[in-house]
Amino acid sequence: MAETTQPAPEKDTIPFYPDHVSTEARVVLYMLIGAVVLGVIGLLLPVGLGTPADPMDTPAHVKPEWYFLALYQVLKYVPKTFGASLFPLAIILLAVWPFFDRKPDTQRSQKMRAIASAVVMIVLIALTVWGEVS
Amino acid sequence: MTSFLRRRFPLVLAALFIAIVVFLFVITAQGQATPSHAEGVSDYPQAPDWDKAAALNQAASIHGEAVNPFALPVPPTQDPCLHCHILGENTNLWMPLSRWLLFGSAALVFGFGIYRSTSVFNTRKKWKPLVARTVEWVDERYEISEPLSKILNKPVPRFATRWWYCLGGITAFLFVIQGITGIMLAFYYKPTPEAAYASIQFIETEVRFGSAVRMIHHWAANFMVIMCIAHMLRVFIMGAFKPPRELNWVSGVILLSVTLAFGFTGYLLPWDQRAFWATTVGSEIAGSIPVIGNLALVFLRVGWDITALTLSRFYSLHIIVLPLITVAFMGAHFLMVRRQGIKEPL
Repeated sequence: MAETTQPAPEKDTIPFYPDHVSTEARVVLYMLIGAVVLGVIGLLLPVGLGTPADPMDTPAHVKPEWYFLALYQVLKYVPKTFGASLFPLAIILLAVWPFFDRKPDTQRSQKMRAIASAVVMIVLIALTVWGEVS
Repeated sequence: MTSFLRRRFPLVLAALFIAIVVFLFVITAQGQATPSHAEGVSDYPQAPDWDKAAALNQAASIHGEAVNPFALPVPPTQDPCLHCHILGENTNLWMPLSRWLLFGSAALVFGFGIYRSTSVFNTRKKWKPLVARTVEWVDERYEISEPLSKILNKPVPRFATRWWYCLGGITAFLFVIQGITGIMLAFYYKPTPEAAYASIQFIETEVRFGSAVRMIHHWAANFMVIMCIAHMLRVFIMGAFKPPRELNWVSGVILLSVTLAFGFTGYLLPWDQRAFWATTVGSEIAGSIPVIGNLALVFLRVGWDITALTLSRFYSLHIIVLPLITVAFMGAHFLMVRRQGIKEPL
């Protein structure tokens, strides 16, 4: 079956070099410009430091980095052991996902995955924002 | 000898020219009164006292002694010597640097011109650019041009030039930026509780462009997490994780968790209140995972409390262990993508 199908028409591909490489180089250039802009902003408004660490003095609001805020917010409302195991469980679930979702792809399943990931992302973003403002 | 002179006679001309210049320099410099050096003060050559030299010169001419008529009076405002730069009397580095760049490159161009003109006399071969020669030289020895052209000529499907296929590449390049700026910061950072905070302050205030580099490192780290997640969503929604690309997805998940670990370990390094207590909370969460919790907590904190040992452990994880893991898995990730090609959209 595969032998009888026509090879892809010439115009469906571009050469890796120089066409694709130059596209990538343009992206890299934009990112370098972004880095320089960030650097200039950093010269004017440095990232800065808080007060030096003091193990004796616990501040009123302790927060982790923003990408752990959603987990931190969940931990405030569920038992600690269960909440803490959510993160490694989520990583393991992600890692083993392709070994269970093996059927050939269809438009419908793509749409389902898009909706599912949108819901998960909205929940995560909402939790993060909630954690940030609370 | 004679054949050498005949073949390379432009070189001989140049040598003659240089000899004449040196000769002129010597005869004009001979009669000048030498400024006395301070003795026994330092091992380094001292900056001559040019005012004294000018006075000596003048006195000699008044008393009718033999003075070189070509010797010019020394202008006192002129930059007197290179030693002054070494001794630190002149703090302006840009002047000698630009001088070296200008005259050095002029000398290189001049020397290259002479060399090239001798080769015209020497050989009848057509001139080849240096780059082409270098490529030929390397290729003769290692024969890389054939496999390299195979890699470079591999066709890329046109659909893969849409912007959402760029997200992974952006993440990879952000990692490169993090590596470069991270090395720059590591030059000045000191991973001990006593010195960490002060060294970051030093980077922010004293080091030239230090605050710019820290800003780039700080924000590129956040963008890297965002880009990882965006790339993963793209792959997930378009079904690119499906067989036969499972292992590629697994390596991507590992790379995501390594990126998060980068953020977690890097956050402690400034050693301010926010860093300290965020790490306290983070390692506590890790400590309440069932079964492996205590092990994880002790591994992260090196004991039950956050101490100097925690800081050096996070530092070594951040700058040695995690980068090595990332490079290994990123290489595998790229090789697998390259081998299997990009998944066609439906």
